[in-house]
Amino acid sequence: MRWRVLDYRTNNAFENMAVDEAIYSETIRNQSPPTLRFYGWRPTAVSIGYFQDPENEINFQQCRISGVDVVRRLTGGKAVYHGDEVTYSLVAGHSEKIFPDRISETYEIISLCLARGLSYLGISACLAPVVKGLTAKEPDLLSCCFSMPSGNELLSDGRKICGSAQTRTRGGFLQHGALLMTFDPSLSASLILVSPTLEQSAKLRSSVAAVNELLPAPVSAETLCDVLKKGFIEELGIDLECGTLTPSERKLSTRLVEKYKSDAWLWKRENRSSVK
Amino acid sequence: MKVFPEDLLYSREHIWVRVDGDMATLGITDYAQESLGEILSIEFPEIDNYVERDEAFGSIESTKAVVDLISCLSGTIVSVNEDINDDIGIINSDPHDTGWLVVIEMDDMEQLDDLLDAAGYHDFIMSQETD
Repeated sequence: MRWRVLDYRTNNAFENMAVDEAIYSETIRNQSPPTLRFYGWRPTAVSIGYFQDPENEINFQQCRISGVDVVRRLTGGKAVYHGDEVTYSLVAGHSEKIFPDRISETYEIISLCLARGLSYLGISACLAPVVKGLTAKEPDLLSCCFSMPSGNELLSDGRKICGSAQTRTRGGFLQHGALLMTFDPSLSASLILVSPTLEQSAKLRSSVAAVNELLPAPVSAETLCDVLKKGFIEELGIDLECGTLTPSERKLSTRLVEKYKSDAWLWKRENRSSVK
Repeated sequence: MKVFPEDLLYSREHIWVRVDGDMATLGITDYAQESLGEILSIEFPEIDNYVERDEAFGSIESTKAVVDLISCLSGTIVSVNEDINDDIGIINSDPHDTGWLVVIEMDDMEQLDDLLDAAGYHDFIMSQETD
């Protein structure tokens, strides 16, 4: 099966989310091939999960003061500060039989690809066990993605090395996730936690693994992407062909940038219920 | 052990339907709630919204995934389950009864003919799992 890969490049938060949604929309309409994409975030940004409330689940004021963009994702999960990192996104239609219907199994397959890729850098990573219920180590860090490994997410030495989130609909799914190159727990805590404390930063530090902090010599984002590609090719048995956005995806993503920039999307208040 | 009540109809998108005249109550199946895992959030449609068959009428978030709720019927939303505001856990614990999601006033009853009965849905699930 021939897949498309979109090589690493940096964009702002709104462009990043718009491009992912454009690829997702076109794929579920059978207009685009299964796609693996790598990207970074400039300026740095905080992304929140589809159901999160920016007023109460991140430190919105601090993000504004620090010039950090805030964007709502299409996917679930918790807030992530996107600083020095590589984000992957994977989009596949339901005709792509490599991935089963079950969410946890999709996570498992993608995590195995990432783990195989990381192994080429000498990083050993394993899948977090699937357990029922939330697995946050600390309730006061609940709004932060990297504080809580979900089942089948990746751990290295017991710490979360990749935070992933997914959305799915009739016709396909989008999963994206962040691998931190380096990690600044104080900065992350100040942007994500409403009243961060030194103790919380320390707890976050002990929950998170960053790629370049596990290696004797740092690698570039491009090098990380190269080994991750290798992991996907080998684990999935696919060919990855370097590509670009289709004209339809480009047109759609241009329109979607405005959605992701809008207050209406960021402060989305609809008929929602959540676990209190 | 998966549960497939005999008095319900089922879609291939894992939505169950209970019919009462031209009103249809929809919820997610036991199989769906088990696959999703712990449900954390739900986004309901507005009352009086019109939903098209095969389109999303809302979305549901479990641990780490947001999944569209795909309607198997066209019609107008006349009710949403307000009890879920107090305890979203009922979608997991009692998906076929107190964990119902919405009531739709159908405008094309013939769409019911495309749904599966309990045995058909059971066979569909089995075929999915052996694929």
